[in-house]
Amino acid sequence: MTETIFYFFSAVTIISSFFVVFSSNPVHSVLFLILSFFNVAVIFLLSDAEFLAMTLVIVYVGAVAVLFLFVVMMLNINEVVVKEGFLKYFPLGLLLISIFLTELIFVFKDIELFDPSSSGISIIGLLEQGNQNTKSLGLYLYTDFFIIFQISGFLLLVAMIGAIVLAQNDQISVRSQNIFKQKQVKKNDIIKLK
Amino acid sequence: MTSSNYLILSSIVFSIGFLGIFVNRKNIISILMSIELMLLATNINFVGFSSTLDDLFGQIFALFVLVVAAAEAAIGLAILTIFFKKSGSISIDTINKLKG
Repeated sequence: MTETIFYFFSAVTIISSFFVVFSSNPVHSVLFLILSFFNVAVIFLLSDAEFLAMTLVIVYVGAVAVLFLFVVMMLNINEVVVKEGFLKYFPLGLLLISIFLTELIFVFKDIELFDPSSSGISIIGLLEQGNQNTKSLGLYLYTDFFIIFQISGFLLLVAMIGAIVLAQNDQISVRSQNIFKQKQVKKNDIIKLK
Repeated sequence: MTSSNYLILSSIVFSIGFLGIFVNRKNIISILMSIELMLLATNINFVGFSSTLDDLFGQIFALFVLVVAAAEAAIGLAILTIFFKKSGSISIDTINKLKG
């Protein structure tokens, strides 16, 4: 049963990813991107990664895809111009992709993984101790991986500042007080006796 | 599910994203969306290995990939909007104007 659900949702993921690339309207592309994110979230749910599935829906669909949608609708894009040169590069791209994909599938078809009884963080062991997925993620994210967690938070801060600085419009003058200029003003500059 | 199921799904999605970068020469938004697809494929790989190998580290790393993807989308779209404001197109042929 789980296999059938997995195959169904992966098929929908692949088809919608195709339409992300090949649809002529950018708004349709973003909507298909959202569809494939949702399907991958279901696949994550099937693999017992509930927190990541919900994060995918919140972060990708709620933030990133909506950001894409805003930008697509804000910019006035000509659909005909956008698809120019599509057929020019398509044969070469298809050739490269088919070689790449054939090699990958040939390798991955019946891959034998190494013995999973290594020194990793066992999910089943955490579940037996009564920890759900979110709790066990938190147990390791805030202790063992704390430095990486802090760095990723800093990365988000830098990205936020960068986006704000880039998107700021320089033409708009803000009527603010410049204290240095104010103190520099002499009496003769503003009062003139004639 | 076996690990080859995850691997084949993620390699197909990754290849579609790669093809998208190849064919969409006039549309930087499509290229950014293709990059998102490729990052999604890596996330499928991480979660698939985490599930099949019974190791939580894959999910933790997928979370960091998510952070990087969000930051990249924000910065890329901000650059794209000011580029469109300056040049009036989103074609990749005119992007060498970014050199200043």
